[in-house]
Amino acid sequence: MFVPHSEIDLKKMFEELSISSLDDLFTHIPATLKLNDGLNVPPTLSELESISHFESVESKNTQNLICFAGGGHYDVYLPHTVKTLTMRPEFMTSYTPYQAEISQGILQILFEYQSLICDLTDMELANASLYDGATSVAEAISVAINKTKRNGVVVSNGFNPNTKEVVNTLVDRSKFDIKYVDLIDYMFPEDYIFTEEDAAFVVSLPHYEGSAQDLTTIVKNAKAVGVITICYIDPSMMGILKTPGSMGFDIVVAEGQSMGSPLSFGGPTVGWFATKKELARLVPGRIIGETRDSNHTKTYVMTLRAREQDIRREKASSNICTNQTLNAVGSTIHLSWLGPQGLYEIGYQAIQKASYMKQQLLDHDINISNPNNSLREFIVQTSKPAEDVIIEMGNKGFLAGIKYSDNEILVAVTEKRTKSEIDKYITSLQEVDNA
Amino acid sequence: MHSGGNASSLPLVGGAPEPTINQLSKPGRRASRFPKLDVPVTEINNPAIRNDKPSLPEVSEHDLVMHYSRLAHRNFAVDVGFYPLGSCTMKYNPRFADYVAGLNTFANSHPATPATFTQGNLEVLHELEKFLIEITGMDNATFQPPAGASGELTGLLIIKKYLEENGLSNKKDIIVPDSAHGTNPASAKMAGFNVVEVSTDIRGMVNIEDLRSLVNENTAGLMLTNPNTGGLFEENIMEISNIIHENGGLIYYDGANLNAIVGVCRPGDMGFDIVHSNLHKTFATPHGGGGPGSGPVAVKGFLKEYLPGPIVVKNSNGYDWYSPKSSIGRMHGYHGNFLVALRALVYMKLLGKEGLDTLGSYAVLNARYLSSVISKIIPLAYNEPCMHEFVATVKDLKKSHKIKAYDVGKALLDKGFHSPTIYFPLIIEEALMFEPTETQTVDTLDDLAETLKLIIEELQGEDVSLEEYPKNLPVGRPNELIPAKHLTVNWGDFELLELTE
Repeated sequence: MFVPHSEIDLKKMFEELSISSLDDLFTHIPATLKLNDGLNVPPTLSELESISHFESVESKNTQNLICFAGGGHYDVYLPHTVKTLTMRPEFMTSYTPYQAEISQGILQILFEYQSLICDLTDMELANASLYDGATSVAEAISVAINKTKRNGVVVSNGFNPNTKEVVNTLVDRSKFDIKYVDLIDYMFPEDYIFTEEDAAFVVSLPHYEGSAQDLTTIVKNAKAVGVITICYIDPSMMGILKTPGSMGFDIVVAEGQSMGSPLSFGGPTVGWFATKKELARLVPGRIIGETRDSNHTKTYVMTLRAREQDIRREKASSNICTNQTLNAVGSTIHLSWLGPQGLYEIGYQAIQKASYMKQQLLDHDINISNPNNSLREFIVQTSKPAEDVIIEMGNKGFLAGIKYSDNEILVAVTEKRTKSEIDKYITSLQEVDNA
Repeated sequence: MHSGGNASSLPLVGGAPEPTINQLSKPGRRASRFPKLDVPVTEINNPAIRNDKPSLPEVSEHDLVMHYSRLAHRNFAVDVGFYPLGSCTMKYNPRFADYVAGLNTFANSHPATPATFTQGNLEVLHELEKFLIEITGMDNATFQPPAGASGELTGLLIIKKYLEENGLSNKKDIIVPDSAHGTNPASAKMAGFNVVEVSTDIRGMVNIEDLRSLVNENTAGLMLTNPNTGGLFEENIMEISNIIHENGGLIYYDGANLNAIVGVCRPGDMGFDIVHSNLHKTFATPHGGGGPGSGPVAVKGFLKEYLPGPIVVKNSNGYDWYSPKSSIGRMHGYHGNFLVALRALVYMKLLGKEGLDTLGSYAVLNARYLSSVISKIIPLAYNEPCMHEFVATVKDLKKSHKIKAYDVGKALLDKGFHSPTIYFPLIIEEALMFEPTETQTVDTLDDLAETLKLIIEELQGEDVSLEEYPKNLPVGRPNELIPAKHLTVNWGDFELLELTE
């Protein structure tokens, strides 16, 4: 399959190599290691047979659950224009753009991607993507540690638990002290006292729980004692929220799924990473720069390469090599398709619809833990165990949200949800949780 | 040239530079439209809300489509031409996988959807795990690592935790060949190990005597790819793994070169304890201009409980998630690059036994044939039978005509080929590393060799200015010093560049 050789081709190749069979290629491999009977795997399927196989596997997923789950991944509308342009084979099947002369397409898009993210967050330098939101937080902490040579890491507890788990895996806790700070009334405490032991302060805007605050004062307090401040954003809210740059943050990271990638069961998505130029040499991953070619024509290239693993090896700023370029291409095209008005509308409509939903829930005597300071995402209280409610809601066609605690569900509303879906959700929840 | 359209035509056109999307922006234009708000408007007061609109380009949908389509025309790709790119396995990416990856709930499941509602997705991961552990000779796998380097780090963190739990925290040395991929030492460092480099012998393989001298009670493990980065099978692999195991270390297989041995032999049978696979290399998922990839890690049974969790298990009610008891913790926010894993499964199903049993053999056949033809033009680095890739060198041409590997690569671009990997492995002077993969025809291989011969003759000409190559592409050789000095990394900096030049 996909091997193109005819018998005539094989004859020509075997003659060139003076061999008579494929086995003759491996006389230098110890006989005890060779697979004599081959692999124990199923027989080949034609494409036609594969269609029914994979369609049947896909049909085992519950179809068309209406998505009220968020927590970093959002059911934002992904236009066909963005999908089809991103999936052009010239982008999708190309390699890393080391050869600039034949890679200007990808290089220019990545330059645009970096620029768009800088504009959107008020930063000066973005890299060309990291794996996802969670690993981007860990990479940002690592930059702060390398910059400050300090051991403390202050992380807001208002993060997706999975993100915190990734941080705990990737930051060596035998060397660095990660302090998780509880939110008070769903807000990071304004009077938190940072110390000169702290390398990094990491906070989410909005918080995982859906609440949002202006973090300017907290950032100022952290920076006063030399802490590197890191803001994790929800890109689909950036049309409506103040920029992390305007609040004074040093580094911005994000789960970029909502800009340009389908939900994809969580991957592939893209981790955004942007910062100020003074941290340039500590930035993980690839960076694209603008230059001129030998004829003085505008040209894009990978730059600051001396940070990367293929050159610096164990002294590199990160081990990252393969990244999430195609998803970054998706983010670029999606942001350009949206424009200022479109990105604003995604945020505005999500918040309006969430407000409507919260009011309706309260009117139907369903409690919300944080009704007032939440935006598009909030916590609904359940009388039955949250897990059971989620399963029963699933049976009624809704992905009700993400379990937040034993009796709480984190619910997210995007611009895609309609009044009718929200109304039906509430009716279903009443049926499910009243029994 | 007979391979028609593949290698013999020039796929990329030159012309004027493409403006950026920002330069195409005009106030008031837009591509996006949304439904009217269908709920009553509430006043929203929150101190984090901005008063102005975000800064983004304003373009029409047609302008947007033309812009990104023109950029597509300025990009080489597997669907456009031949990448003889060593260590990267740039094989054909089956189009059919695009169809499957686009199916409704594969593409659109929220990652927090409970297992009850995502039985199909879990079946995909379970089925792929079965293929992968059979191909590599291991017992269990995780799909969380989104790329090879993340897989390496996963493996090293597993080694670290395993040693800690067995009271062997003193073991801090990870041995890495001097020919290894850069990610190996970078990952070992990230995991908190000391990197110890073992040298390569004259035949191009791990220097066994050197290895013996480096191994001691502090040895945590060895990272190795087999075939190694010179494209050679480590014939003493059993001795190597015994040396490490006898000293209580574990051995890690860097799966970057797995394509060479699929169906031929298995890392698990060679003594490797942990293996990562690059699904975007061996299993034909598209590279996406540098990503996404997927770097699943497979382990022997005694390491299962250390895997990042949750992993998929099959029980009487179907599939479910299981959290390994001594897990190193998550390596990814959710389940890794699921759609990449799905594409790899599509590829494996299409190949089946017939295709997988011969995959490595045909990859090696193509490389061995190309090495034989190219060895008549420029010398090979090692006089050994190559596996799926091989290294040639132009160090003699550099001495005689100042022609560097870089120049050869650039001249090849002009002729419609991607450059081979150059200057890698680092231990070979003026290295050109070729990996044709099994999906190229013998005609394309012949065309590459013929073209290489012609350009080497051309570059030796008297009035040749090497810096002028490539000549026929949208841009010529970039000045790599400008951005490093002036760091023009976003369009807001454009004027800075103009001023400082």
